[in-house]
Amino acid sequence: MSDLAPVLEVRNLRTYLETIRGRAWPVDDVSFDLHPGKIRAIVGESGSGKSITALSIMQLLPEPAGFIDSGQILLEGKDLLDLTWNEMRQHRGHDLAMIFQEPMTSLNPVFTIGNQVAESVVAHGGTWEQGKKRALELLERVGMERPELVLRQYPHELSGGMRQRVMIAIALANRPKVLIADEPTTALDVTVQAQILSLMREIQKEMGMAILLITHDLGVVAEMADDVSVMYAGKIVEDAPVRDLFRSPQHPYTIDLLESLPARQHRGQDLAVIEGNVPAATAWPAGCRYANRCQYCIPACTEGEIPMVTVNGVTDARCIRIGQFQRGGVKA
Amino acid sequence: MSQPILQIEHLGKVFGRARGFLRKDSQKEAVKDVSLDVNEGQTVALVGESGSGKSTVGLMALGLLAPSSGRVIFDGTSVVDLGGAERLALRRKIQVVFQDPYGSLNGRMTVREALTEGMMIHRIGTSDADREARAAVLLEDVGLTPEALNRYPHEFSGGQRQRVAIARALSVEPKFIVLDEPTSALDVSVQSQVLNLLRRLQRDRGLSYLFITHNLAVVEYMADYVCVMSKGEIVERGGIEAIFDTPQQDYTKGLLNSIPSIDPEARRLGA
Repeated sequence: MSDLAPVLEVRNLRTYLETIRGRAWPVDDVSFDLHPGKIRAIVGESGSGKSITALSIMQLLPEPAGFIDSGQILLEGKDLLDLTWNEMRQHRGHDLAMIFQEPMTSLNPVFTIGNQVAESVVAHGGTWEQGKKRALELLERVGMERPELVLRQYPHELSGGMRQRVMIAIALANRPKVLIADEPTTALDVTVQAQILSLMREIQKEMGMAILLITHDLGVVAEMADDVSVMYAGKIVEDAPVRDLFRSPQHPYTIDLLESLPARQHRGQDLAVIEGNVPAATAWPAGCRYANRCQYCIPACTEGEIPMVTVNGVTDARCIRIGQFQRGGVKA
Repeated sequence: MSQPILQIEHLGKVFGRARGFLRKDSQKEAVKDVSLDVNEGQTVALVGESGSGKSTVGLMALGLLAPSSGRVIFDGTSVVDLGGAERLALRRKIQVVFQDPYGSLNGRMTVREALTEGMMIHRIGTSDADREARAAVLLEDVGLTPEALNRYPHEFSGGQRQRVAIARALSVEPKFIVLDEPTSALDVSVQSQVLNLLRRLQRDRGLSYLFITHNLAVVEYMADYVCVMSKGEIVERGGIEAIFDTPQQDYTKGLLNSIPSIDPEARRLGA
């Protein structure tokens, strides 16, 4: 834990989407802190609500379907949800920046890279002169080999890894305090992923910013994160420092997820599986949302709201049977 | 040691056309001199990054893409220059499962149609009712219920859809399946179910797999033998221990060092 005050605090965030099957609640009472100079990972499988959490913070929810129902998103103590659209625009790309999984869909195909990087400076009060100069610096900083050439190139002329570097350059243009990275390396080859992750870590150290890393990849979490929030069915089910999460996972979902990873020591044996499906976001069941798939489920699990419980002083887990089992089975 | 069921010999593929009138040379050698054997009941993994040529090798092994050089021998006969009837017979023995079952299953066909179409082409089953009964058994074999017969691909989750794609591949009773990134689009909890299923089917039916993937953790768990591809060539090959514990080539070492460690105490990408 950092001694510094959190730069971003998310409090009891609830977000809904109007769908053809009714109102869905992909983010349902999510809270966490992000400290300066730290990386917090939000890890979860598809449908867990991790990306909608990120989009809620940026207030870039899909229109017209997505709405923030309640909660607070405090950037250095100021609630972003109190801001008007125009006031929020001043923060987006300035002290709060975001990169996405697929840089090709985030970059505009008809403008040069130089133009798009410079634009992020201009949008926040710089001149085009300043923008172009800064664009060159930024492209150098993110490890482009021939930045002067890249300035004049178009997105399609770059590889996936290079495009993601450009996205990072754009995000860094105004030295943000918080960078939200939504699956930033999922579309990349593993060697390119390693380069991009190293770059993110380097720049984060240099600029002291905080990173919120949204990912489904537990390897990326183990490599990058300081703190981890595990999301399942719209809720954070476990929240722990990264070492504690991997050494002694507490929530049955986290345990099952780690057990289901293929590894050499499981050769010749079946892998652990999680049976069943995530419940529908339009009708979350009462009680624990993992209950229908949990091997430790007891009747009390499906009654009432399940509170977060602190274990070992560091890990918060949303489970009423916490501490009664561990990786590998029930405690003796 | 069992016999190789699939032998790939000096396989090469060049895409594009040579220089000609008003034409620049657009040739690209996607696969260069690739040789490998798959023994019966074995899983051989073909790993590499995007553009390494691994999927192109898979397509040529299936007979879906003509090689520019070299040959593919399946069960003693060359795949490359087969006539109609022989080609049909081959298709029955070699099947494929792709990464994205949404793309490989016909969205307008029910599961019944998808599973019985191949049987009809290959004259498996004595009647429609018999084929439907076989399809129902296949669904149970891959962990679905026979009610799925009347449903369309979009009605399933990603994992279930991949099970349907596996059942479809099995419907013609193949001996060999090319698995091209079969779990890459799936969540890890679903991936483990599909991997368990593939292993069980291999055991029960004596299937051989050519497992094409970029996911080295899956390879370490599933494969008997590994071929590492880069820029169209196999740069290193060996058993799991040889490849993962004592890699010889710089490319393999670099690849292994890029995999994020699942242990936060042993970070690889600099603390």
